[in-house]
Amino acid sequence: MATSGNKNINAKLVLLGDVGAGKSSLVLRFVKGQFVEFQESTIGAAFFSQTLAVNDATVKFEIWDTAGQERYHSLAPMYYRGAAAAIIVYDMTNLASFERAKKWVQELQAQGNPNMVMALAGNKADLLDARKVTAEEAQTYAQEHGLFFMETSAKTATNVNDIFYEIAKRLPRVQPAPNPSGMVLMDRPAERTAAASCCS
Amino acid sequence: MYGTLSKRDLALELQSQIPILRPSIHSRRANLTVKFQDLYGFTVEGNVDDVNVLNEVREKVREQGRVWWALEASKGANWYLQPEISNGIALKSSLKISALANAITLKRLIRKGIPPVLRPKVWFSLSGAAKKKSTVPESYYNDLIKAVEGKVTAATRQIDHDLPRTFPGHPWLDTPEGHAALRRVLVGYSFRDSDVGYCQGLNYVAALLLLVMKTEEDAFWMLAVLLENVLVNDCYTTNLSGCHVEQRVFKDLLTKNCPGIAAHLEALEFDVSLVATEWFLCLFSKSLPSETTLRVWDILFYEGAKVLFHVALAIFKMKEDELLLTHHVGDVINVLQRTTHELFDPDDLLTVAFDKIGSMTTTTLSKQRKKQEPAVMAELDQRLRRLNSLKMEDK
Repeated sequence: MATSGNKNINAKLVLLGDVGAGKSSLVLRFVKGQFVEFQESTIGAAFFSQTLAVNDATVKFEIWDTAGQERYHSLAPMYYRGAAAAIIVYDMTNLASFERAKKWVQELQAQGNPNMVMALAGNKADLLDARKVTAEEAQTYAQEHGLFFMETSAKTATNVNDIFYEIAKRLPRVQPAPNPSGMVLMDRPAERTAAASCCS
Repeated sequence: MYGTLSKRDLALELQSQIPILRPSIHSRRANLTVKFQDLYGFTVEGNVDDVNVLNEVREKVREQGRVWWALEASKGANWYLQPEISNGIALKSSLKISALANAITLKRLIRKGIPPVLRPKVWFSLSGAAKKKSTVPESYYNDLIKAVEGKVTAATRQIDHDLPRTFPGHPWLDTPEGHAALRRVLVGYSFRDSDVGYCQGLNYVAALLLLVMKTEEDAFWMLAVLLENVLVNDCYTTNLSGCHVEQRVFKDLLTKNCPGIAAHLEALEFDVSLVATEWFLCLFSKSLPSETTLRVWDILFYEGAKVLFHVALAIFKMKEDELLLTHHVGDVINVLQRTTHELFDPDDLLTVAFDKIGSMTTTTLSKQRKKQEPAVMAELDQRLRRLNSLKMEDK
């Protein structure tokens, strides 16, 4: 398990976005390296985990892939509660899904963890001819709202691992601490990691 | 574990009699995962033990069939169709000994499973679908389908999106014919009840109803009786409020029936709704093997929605020891997912569901739902108001 100098971090990550934006496909590509044209529709949410090594740390993502249909949004707080990171996904060939993504950003910024690392993913980047949302527009929006932005394709795998790596790097405890002190270990997620490594 | 050893012994014995699905000695030695189709055409991945269990289940299904045929022979083909049977209150007023005896026999029989060939007929009568259908003109379904043809709504768009995503790869559901039938049932229903319209999750429920009922009109009526009479109101409407209520009731029941697990999961900050929401909305069709799901539905259509609580509690109860050893949310989910996917023998689940879980009545459940409703409404309302105030700020 943990070797000296290494940190093990458990990070809850939630995917939010319009129905059919490709949330499940992104996760499936990241976790299993697969892509299927017709992914079973997600009901409630589906759970996955995947571990990444970044800098000196090992980040274990606990991923909640949520259902996209409007009426399921009433369940969302259960999934984003306590999340360290979120990927807000839209389909770059669908303007309405970009608008929906903005609403998610609003909700998370008002309700979520204030230190949450947020990424905006313009998915289906392989469908260039059908593009409805420009990269510039999304980039500007992301910058203004403190997210980082990438265009992804679960189909071709473009930027899929990258977006998760980028999130991992930006997690507060993965960044080299400016003044290394025991204090960093005192907050809750770190405590839980410690508890896990001695018992599991 | 409940009878795993004896089950395996039995399975080995049966293996010599049933040649179908018997994996080669090589795969057994290597303990390989094998893929095969179950009774309803779903591809199942499992190990050799799972194949043996499924063979055993097939044999039990055949035995149950013989019991039902014998009853039909002695009591008449429609012996269970007396109107009093499904209604306990009416039963008291018309204390007919034979009806009472039949009702007891029937409840016990149904808990042991309705043979797949009889399912369409028995479900249709006992659920109330037949009665519902009889109150409208014979041509209702065909007229409805014709009337809504070519109409495009938010519901139809979502349905079209979900058709290829409903049990993809199933040999019938995932064909143009299967998609078209499922589409007609879901679109038709979305116009029948515009409050529900279409809710994701119903695609799986309707798909399985189509597989069982064989005709799409009967599947449509089963869907109607399910949403309008069997399940609690508003499970699938705009904000899923009925589903939120069921989840709160379920949490209370878990604390009552499995206090150890409930306390442990709370310490892990694991909200049981994280997994149970899908169970309740898809009526287990996305989690349990098909015959196990349908055995739950056998009881659902006769005894009502309380079976969903029995089964959900049983899944936790069966894995109590394992769950108490978990340290992470992920471990809990893995235990539960593995458990549900491998429940190939419906009796393993249903025995626990009814023998190890305290009995509950529809009346007490209704009371608990009533108790939870105000809190759910307040919570949903609060979220809406917060989101609306965000919009105001944005302007």
